Amino acid sequence: MTALLIKNFLRSKGLLTGLLVLLAAGFVSLNIGKYFLEKNKEIIEKTAEYQQKSIARNVAFHPKEIGLLLYYVRFGLVNEMPNLAGLSIGQRDINPSLQSVTIRNLEEQKYTTDLQNPLYQMLGNMDFSFVLIYLFPLIIIAFCFNLISEEKEEGTWSLVLSQSANPLKMLRLKMLVRYTSVLVVLLLLLLVAKFYLVIPFDATFLAFILTSILYVSFWFSLAWLVVSFQKNSSQNALILLLSWVMLTIVLPAGINAITVTLYPVPEAFSSVLESRDGYHNKWDEPKEPTVAKFHQHYPQFSQYRHPEGKDYSWLWYYAMQQMGDDEAATNAQAFKEKLQKRNTISSIAGLFFPTIHTQLSLNALSLSDMDNYLHFIEKLEGFHEQKRLHFYPKIFTDAAVSGEDWGGFGLDYFKEKANVHWLRTLFPLLIISGLCLILAKMKFRKNQMAG
Amino acid sequence: MLQATNLSKTYGEQTALNNLNLTIHEGEIFALLGQNGAGKTTTINCFLGFIEPSGGGVSINGVSVADNALETKKYLAYIPETVMLYANLTGTENLAFFSSLAGFSYNEEQLSGFLSKAGLQTAAHNQRVGGYSKGMRQKVGIAIAIAKKAKALLLDEPTSGLDPKASNEFSEILRELAKNGTAVLMATHDIFRAKEVANRIGIMKEGNLVSVIDAKDISANELEQLYLQTV
Amino acid sequence: MRITILKLLSKLVWSSKMSNRGTLWLIGIVNVLVVFALISGFRNLNQQQKTAEHYSHEVRERWESRPDKHPHRMAHYGYVAFRQRFPLSFFDFGMDSYLGNAVFLEAHRQNTANFSEASLSNGLLRFGEISAGMILQLLLPLLIFFWGFDLVAREREHGTLRILLTQGVSWQEIIIGKSLGLFYLALSIFVPSAVLGLILLFFSEYTTENPQSYFRYLLLIISYLVYFFVLAALAVFVSARAKSSKSALIQLIGVWLFFTLMLPKLSQVVGQNIFPTPSKIEFDTTVEQELIKQGDSHNPNDPHFRALKDSLLAAYKVDSTHKLPFNYAGYVMREGEKLSTETYKKHEAQLIETYQKQQNVVRLTAFLNPYVAIKNLSMALSGTDYAAYNDFQHQAEAFRYKLAQTMNELQIKYISNKVKNSADKNATISKKNWADLPDFHHQFLAFGEVCQNEILSGMSLFFWVLGLGILVKYSVKNLKAF
Repeated sequence: MTALLIKNFLRSKGLLTGLLVLLAAGFVSLNIGKYFLEKNKEIIEKTAEYQQKSIARNVAFHPKEIGLLLYYVRFGLVNEMPNLAGLSIGQRDINPSLQSVTIRNLEEQKYTTDLQNPLYQMLGNMDFSFVLIYLFPLIIIAFCFNLISEEKEEGTWSLVLSQSANPLKMLRLKMLVRYTSVLVVLLLLLLVAKFYLVIPFDATFLAFILTSILYVSFWFSLAWLVVSFQKNSSQNALILLLSWVMLTIVLPAGINAITVTLYPVPEAFSSVLESRDGYHNKWDEPKEPTVAKFHQHYPQFSQYRHPEGKDYSWLWYYAMQQMGDDEAATNAQAFKEKLQKRNTISSIAGLFFPTIHTQLSLNALSLSDMDNYLHFIEKLEGFHEQKRLHFYPKIFTDAAVSGEDWGGFGLDYFKEKANVHWLRTLFPLLIISGLCLILAKMKFRKNQMAG
Repeated sequence: MLQATNLSKTYGEQTALNNLNLTIHEGEIFALLGQNGAGKTTTINCFLGFIEPSGGGVSINGVSVADNALETKKYLAYIPETVMLYANLTGTENLAFFSSLAGFSYNEEQLSGFLSKAGLQTAAHNQRVGGYSKGMRQKVGIAIAIAKKAKALLLDEPTSGLDPKASNEFSEILRELAKNGTAVLMATHDIFRAKEVANRIGIMKEGNLVSVIDAKDISANELEQLYLQTV
Repeated sequence: MRITILKLLSKLVWSSKMSNRGTLWLIGIVNVLVVFALISGFRNLNQQQKTAEHYSHEVRERWESRPDKHPHRMAHYGYVAFRQRFPLSFFDFGMDSYLGNAVFLEAHRQNTANFSEASLSNGLLRFGEISAGMILQLLLPLLIFFWGFDLVAREREHGTLRILLTQGVSWQEIIIGKSLGLFYLALSIFVPSAVLGLILLFFSEYTTENPQSYFRYLLLIISYLVYFFVLAALAVFVSARAKSSKSALIQLIGVWLFFTLMLPKLSQVVGQNIFPTPSKIEFDTTVEQELIKQGDSHNPNDPHFRALKDSLLAAYKVDSTHKLPFNYAGYVMREGEKLSTETYKKHEAQLIETYQKQQNVVRLTAFLNPYVAIKNLSMALSGTDYAAYNDFQHQAEAFRYKLAQTMNELQIKYISNKVKNSADKNATISKKNWADLPDFHHQFLAFGEVCQNEILSGMSLFFWVLGLGILVKYSVKNLKAF
């Protein structure tokens, strides 16, 4: 019987078309992912080149004053993008994956964006996660919505009932055939992705695969639940389509609206003002207190003093720049905390809504989510600090420019390792699928199979 | 009066109708017998103007259907095999709707009158059509024809799915209509009903009108024999 | 085409759908969603405006209260410009969330506008935003298709289509009549939202300052009405042509999916491929290389300004820049600012042009895709499109240039030539001068300009109407009655 069910399925033109649509869309999305990865590699390579050239050029221009030289020199830190991000681009097309900073105040430099066409950011990418989260469910709905109702409407249902004591078995098999076909397409796409985008087969990729499989399984469970109500084709289609619209469009957007209303981020604006004033106002104030504050922050540099009576010294200048960061510090911290809060709400919401959960999980695994960006910013702060500590003594002692190996300053890399929280990632999907299946079982038992 | 002259219709290689000649006079009931695919529905659709003939032509009351589609529709009424109508409207409302489309405006009394004439019990007039039986829906279909004062009535498998009582009522109404001068063309499988209600009977096979007999000249059994021999 | 018949047919569609409880629920739910979207959008708009206003005042106050100092220090102290939201932006969020909100303006340097909502979000934003615009452009069409897919196909399956035709109704009347009925159904959601939008607009304090909002709103309503009618007619036409109601449903959902979700994304990627834009690092480096050729305006002895120096010395018949009757360093900086800004603007113009080309790839698809047409129109009229943002960037840059040059002028006039650098105690001018620089006021695009920008989208909607009209008139021969 299984063989015949499979034949019946494969011979149906509409169903095969559905599978082909998934494959086609999947391949297009893989291409888009590859293009994104390549563009990013290109930018990083170019930046590495520019950095070398730029540093050399600046050294040639300002060979005498190391303080002045460091006013101009930029050091780049790369937020490494795993190839997996080609499947789930996440926020990587909005937040830059590379920041180049001078040792001047960081607040002013932290948030520079890359040049992007906002129309394109708004339309979004058709990456693999989009195909998985939006298109796969539609095809699943198309395959399953009339599992029983098509038999009833074509008149074969009464035959099935009269031939078999347990029609549920036949229905389960029907479902299994469809489930297997969709899984085959999914795994095929992921297999091709592995080789096309050169994704290493590690724990994160495995988690990615499992999450995708569970997401697809959720939709099958939901369809099974709706089928168990034994309504007619139009009603089934309506219910499932409405669920799709709710889960993929309305609910996430609604939760986003709530998050934005609950946690507005005026700290963004205030930190710009605080850091600017923190630095600039010092020009008008006496120099001693500024230097003193600097010494408070860095007691190891207390031996360096601003020469009395002089209008200007690099120590004083960089002390002022430091004040820009120090005085904006509370704001900057509050800013990060607000973002963290927004992140937390979405994750919690995600536990209830499989679409949100899947997207956030896939982003987390590909290191393309907000968490990764916040970690990158932290690392940037550390990187910046490290450069400062390296150069401050040289500036304050007016060391020779030629004494530094400027050619040795290449790009630094932040390689975050994605932590896979197996339970947190997979459990919510398992639970909600399980719930659907249990409810369906109850429904089937209650509504005796009738013609 | 319905007239088909050398009516032919081909779909590529296939011939659906082959040189059909048929005249149905006012007040005459003509039953068209034949297997599925013999061309009965195609003939009806030609009269309705839904199909363009490949050769020959059809006319209603002397007016060519091909040239004056809109005008000929005024003379016609049609009842399909499955009469579904608008389930959410009552019998009266359905009748009112279709009549206004044809340009007729009737009040409640008149509408009820038509429905009763078509044999629909008064209690059902203001109930939703969704709850009607097939026989009841068919009566609404007939009421639409009556309200339109149609000169010709075309029916496709009218008695399929009707119980004997409804079937009988239906024959009564047809005879009434014919008495009032309506020409009736009915495509059917029901040999008994055909003999019982029609004036003339035609048998079609593979697009050809093979034989035409007067109903009074033949018994039901003989008709059945002739049918089986022909098709 | 007879009006009475059209009325009859459209009324039938309306009453038969309305008698279905599912339809009433759907209308109710979508209306609630739209009301939520409008009100929350309105509240957000006010909140963001208040924040921007608050910080704008802060910036101005701080600017005016800076003590006496060297004007060039003020040029580096700079200003912060905040982007205002157009009063109608609560209706259609458009690109707003992807656009920067604050830009730091200082001499010698063009900064990016930062802190777009998108950069502060964690990925939920990419699912979409609940704005009235999104619901009307994306969800309502799905609803129209869902209500309309069987309007003709089901009648064919039930046989009533043949009865209709036999009663003398023409195909055109059937299609237009049913489209009208479907259109009225769509109105049951659009009219309440349009009315609420008008009320909110009326009571908003920002509208009184920008009366063109009313004209824009009128044009917005008209565009949406045309959009809905096009969709209704499309749904009925597909229903008439399809072999069965199931096939009609699949076709229409496929159309919706392709046009609203897939085609925009695909055309976006194609656009980026055909017209690649440089990354920031490339852009900055290219500009930097040109600037280096121009020289460093901070250094009065910079060799690149030698020609300038010599000509000035000759003109004033002195032998040293210290003897010039104005501050030479300031003069050099003014020239430097002018040159560097020109260079930057040249490259920026190229970049913007490339963005426009990319956007035009998407815009052209509007002829195939009415969703893109209405989206562009709606965004432009609500003031949340790229043209509006670009205008803000230009205004901010113009202000930045004015700030730098005003400070340079002050330096030229008031700072003595003998001063060595800006940290010199003697090199200060009175703080009263700061107030001479007017505040930054972000102005919105004029109505005429907005219309001009979106002529293409308007035309494509018009062509859709024309195209459907032609289809309905001429291709009805191929429609099957049974």
